[in-house]
Amino acid sequence: MTAVDPILLSVYARTFKSITDEMSISVQKTTRSPILCEAKDFVTGLYDAEGNMLEQTENLPILAFSLAPVCKYILKYFEGDIHPGDVIFHNDVFSMGNQNNDVAVYKPVFQGETLVGWTAVKGHQADIGGNVPGGYNPNAKEVWQEALRIPPVKIYDRGVFRKDVWDLIFANIRLDIVQHDMRAQMGACTVGERRFLELLSKYGLPSFRAHKTALFDATRRMMEAEIAKIPNGRYSGEGMVYYDGHHVGSQFTIRVDITVEDRKVRFDYTRTDPQTDGFVNGTFTSSASATVLTLLQMVNPDIPHNEGMIQPIEIIIPEGTILNASYPKATTFGNHLCPPNADAIIRALAPVIPDRVTAGWNNLLCSLTTGIDPEKGEKYVDIGFMGLKGGSGAMNGTDGYDHIGMIDASGGLLDQDYEMFEQTTPHLLIKHEYLVDSAGPGQWRGGLGVETIFTIGSDDTQLVTFGDGDFEPAFGLFGGGEGTLNLIELTYPDGTSVVPRNKDLITGVPKGTRYRQLAGGGGGYGPAAKRDRALLGREVRDGVISPDAARSAYGWEG
Amino acid sequence: MTTKIGIDVGGTFTDFFVAEAGCEPRIHKVLSTPHDPSIAVLTGLEEIAASRKPAMALADYVRTIDTIVHGTTVTTNATLTHTGAKCGLITTEGVRDALEMRRGIREEQYNNRYTNVPPLVERYLRAGTGGRMDRAGREVAPLALADIEAAIALFKREKVEAVAICFMNAFANPAHERQAAELVRKHLPEAYLTVSTDLLPSIRFYDRISTTALNSYVGPKLSRYLDQLTGRLKEVGFDGLLLITQSNGGVMAPEVAREKAALTLLSGPAGGPGAGLAYAAVHGQNRCITTDMGGTSFEASMAVDTPIMVNDGEIARHRIALPMLGIHTIGAGGGSIGWIDEGGMLRMGPQSAGADPGPACYGKGGTKPTSTDANLVLGYLNPGFFAGGRMSLDLAAAERAIAEHVAKPLGLSVVEAAAGMYRIICNNMAQGVREVTIKRGFDPREFPMIVAGGAGPIHSCLIADELEMPFQIVPRESSVLCAYGMLMGDIRHDFVRTFVSRLDSLDWPRLKAVIAEMAKDGDDLLDSERISADRRRVAVKLDCRYLKQYHEVSFEVPMASIEAGDTAAITRLFHAEHNRLYGYSLEEQKVPAEIINVRLQAVGVTDKPSGRAEPYAGPDGSAAVKGERMVYVPEDKAFRSVPVYDGHKLKHGNRVAGPAMIEEITTAIFVSASYDGVCDRTGSFALYRKGREDLVANILKGA
Repeated sequence: MTAVDPILLSVYARTFKSITDEMSISVQKTTRSPILCEAKDFVTGLYDAEGNMLEQTENLPILAFSLAPVCKYILKYFEGDIHPGDVIFHNDVFSMGNQNNDVAVYKPVFQGETLVGWTAVKGHQADIGGNVPGGYNPNAKEVWQEALRIPPVKIYDRGVFRKDVWDLIFANIRLDIVQHDMRAQMGACTVGERRFLELLSKYGLPSFRAHKTALFDATRRMMEAEIAKIPNGRYSGEGMVYYDGHHVGSQFTIRVDITVEDRKVRFDYTRTDPQTDGFVNGTFTSSASATVLTLLQMVNPDIPHNEGMIQPIEIIIPEGTILNASYPKATTFGNHLCPPNADAIIRALAPVIPDRVTAGWNNLLCSLTTGIDPEKGEKYVDIGFMGLKGGSGAMNGTDGYDHIGMIDASGGLLDQDYEMFEQTTPHLLIKHEYLVDSAGPGQWRGGLGVETIFTIGSDDTQLVTFGDGDFEPAFGLFGGGEGTLNLIELTYPDGTSVVPRNKDLITGVPKGTRYRQLAGGGGGYGPAAKRDRALLGREVRDGVISPDAARSAYGWEG
Repeated sequence: MTTKIGIDVGGTFTDFFVAEAGCEPRIHKVLSTPHDPSIAVLTGLEEIAASRKPAMALADYVRTIDTIVHGTTVTTNATLTHTGAKCGLITTEGVRDALEMRRGIREEQYNNRYTNVPPLVERYLRAGTGGRMDRAGREVAPLALADIEAAIALFKREKVEAVAICFMNAFANPAHERQAAELVRKHLPEAYLTVSTDLLPSIRFYDRISTTALNSYVGPKLSRYLDQLTGRLKEVGFDGLLLITQSNGGVMAPEVAREKAALTLLSGPAGGPGAGLAYAAVHGQNRCITTDMGGTSFEASMAVDTPIMVNDGEIARHRIALPMLGIHTIGAGGGSIGWIDEGGMLRMGPQSAGADPGPACYGKGGTKPTSTDANLVLGYLNPGFFAGGRMSLDLAAAERAIAEHVAKPLGLSVVEAAAGMYRIICNNMAQGVREVTIKRGFDPREFPMIVAGGAGPIHSCLIADELEMPFQIVPRESSVLCAYGMLMGDIRHDFVRTFVSRLDSLDWPRLKAVIAEMAKDGDDLLDSERISADRRRVAVKLDCRYLKQYHEVSFEVPMASIEAGDTAAITRLFHAEHNRLYGYSLEEQKVPAEIINVRLQAVGVTDKPSGRAEPYAGPDGSAAVKGERMVYVPEDKAFRSVPVYDGHKLKHGNRVAGPAMIEEITTAIFVSASYDGVCDRTGSFALYRKGREDLVANILKGA
């Protein structure tokens, strides 16, 4: 075994990070679908020959745990049949995929004939076949109504492009743009492969092997030290899911039992409710990602994201629960079970680590409008990023972050630019401002939500909603108040209005309809009476807290 | 009237580079005076005058100066410390929070303690007013004059110093902004005013409102400073040309700077890339990477023919969408502190010991081990010749700091620990160079690296080694590179118009009219700066993208192609640039492209100081050897006795074989065992990888 040089170890760690960052920039700059290049809903990663994560750049935290398990699955699937020049696609949620739309490219990296590692890019594709363009089908009951399944398949076999396989896949996907974006993902894998090989040729394989093991150990020790700050014990919490898309009034409970023992932590979801009939179901990797990202927000944010970070964490999610649906259930909504999952974890740990948790975050409620732009005669699709971003929960000593969006993105998902929004859709933006009195009151207040209003500019517009947060607001902690609810409301030109359900499909929306959305605020922390008066006075002056609310919720004397 | 002076105000020192016809260039440094930086400017000029032989009175000296080019950090500091003007914002009803929301980003996603940056304009001073243009510039609702008047009344009450106006879709029709501006000028004549379409008439609301607000935020401070500076210079009788450095690497008249104050944001290091090109040109190269390592930060930039520009800059987390040099800054400098993270790994920076208390070896109370301490332990710094012998360094203190904070926790010897610190910080800087090259589609191995900053030349061989770069140039003026670079800057004015159109159905007469309009604006400014017609140039750029892409590619288009209306040629340029940047184009797939913005840069060529040209003195540099010293040679992982050269005595053609040290008053150069060096005709040291004599063949031949 080669001796580990502590200095070289730092060099390796820094270089791994720069490789996945470089891959990430390549994807962002070359893809065309806005959900990739604007919303950055993708992850890039580097793995060793056994599929252990060396480093990854997950632009959205919900992708924190989505790539490595698939890499290990592929290694088993193609055992003895992995060769230089192979490129493998995968999205299948029943073989460790996290969401149907998230299609991954895996490229084995060889030094000569020796498999030394993998580069991978997983990105949310603009379409993945199934019944509904874009993949969000609230009526789906089985996976085939949602998506084309892609179990591990070689697109290149020993360097030879398999046109037949490529055509088979893309014959089942509506938009050509997906082909371009998958090419861009393959390009980024090649970028990573090149730099990985440069690194290996510089220091040699034995040095790489010795140092990556040392790196995993160092990171594991960091994570263990963080976990050790949580007192040993067993802690339980719950989070609620409202409406499965089929049964009005249905609700489901996520239950987590967290055991902290001997610098290790176990998240056990055995008591969680069974899976639903609809698409409101998680996959193992989407749910485990949610668990990991929630924990990562409670520890030192500098911990490297590699195999060592995950080693002290055990996650048990029995198949057949709402967080790990069994074949062939529909699961597209799974990523959005992150907020209630996070709620459960926060509620469990708040009593023992009160200074490291936030109060509840605003949950996601999203809409998508599609139609024909009457001036251009072209089809448009708009994902309402700006409207969905509410506030985060407050912490002891820090207010919640205003207009940050759901915890699964934690501020990684950006608003459309208003003028670009009006260029790419026929809508006219009327309002996009902080929502007054939306923040959960507290000594530390929750983040503010926003109000969004626009006039729909096309006839026969289709609106899809998906999300939650319209039944239960973000919760407060230690005397802090709760945030406000989410709402989407359409007012038709004839004056009638409709409030879509939180998983809904509304067609034939006419031009001139007023779209209004409220994204709620985050929960507050500590009693509102203790809020700094000068700060409160400024907030009243600035109009983000009304004088009435300041008096009633905070006991303001002004 | 034969002297040109570049003056660069830094956090600690104000640097002067003096170019006088027929004389050796002079370097001068004085301590900066942050409360009124113009004091240091005058002090420096006075000292330079007094140090001439024979000494001159300041009043006589300034009369010999025809140009002063001045870089100021007044605006940058005001933004970084959040001490700009109290501003009011007039914007479209319903979107007044865009400025504070910053599109809803939290840069540190896992850090719940990371708070938003305070807004440039407080919410109660952000007035949403009625009136609306649609996406094509058609009026949907007339401007609500009563709302504007109410805003003005509020601003008066609140005594705002500056006002910013930015309306939705004003890039497509600025009529409402002009109307509102007229009212503000009438009722608040003393307020500093920025109108978004005057500053940046391009699409993307957040980019525009942020840039506009920044301009108003820093405008009053800059105006006051320029008043002080021009006042003081006038007082002593200076009547030459004063030019102010911009973040695009060019210069401008103070009158222009007053109106477009945001052009000076991040202009501090903007002299570097242009200076780098001048040094590269000596070696027949049209491209270079310029690096500058100071006390707290390391800056890297690159240039091919001209320095690379970006349109999506950021300062203190606020977007600034004016075209500026693509300079990448990381926290790596002489003061960067070495520490062990929770995983037991050695890290360097970004925390810095700064100038006070400074590195442990300064003996001013610092106890944390810094990059400078490591350099001292490794023998790269001469404890008796730091800053030319004006400051002595405490080796024992450096060893103590490294032993306690790095060596012991890692189980290494002090030397091993120091070598590790040196290596890590060089690796960090190499990654910084990657940021500006590889991420923009360039291969650093094809570029000479210009090495600047007091601490830069100690580290450059290892940085170059890491990136396999065969060639470095260390200028004589490396410690005042930016001050020198300011004198190399032309007057540059950037203009932009949003012009959304598919390339394959381009309305050529309309495009030409837009370009002509910007050229006219450029001419007007150059007129005001008294630039003659034969010194004017224009360059046109298009921001294009494939239909429905989100990010544009900016590329220069020859005027001839525009005059000829040659769509095919422009389309080919776009595909080629896209391919170069991102590794592919969609030319074969016949995906149509569209224009989003048209840009024009009007250039007024300034007089440049002529470079040194020393006579060839042959390869033997032994006369410059002043001794030998033990220094750490990374290739051997051991100390070795190496020759120490007096850099001031090395002459054109003199060769230095690595490993070696070259010492000058303001800098020290470490030539590692992998490099050799030769002094070029301007007195720069050209360091080339051993065996690559081809890179400096002309110098070696004495040609």
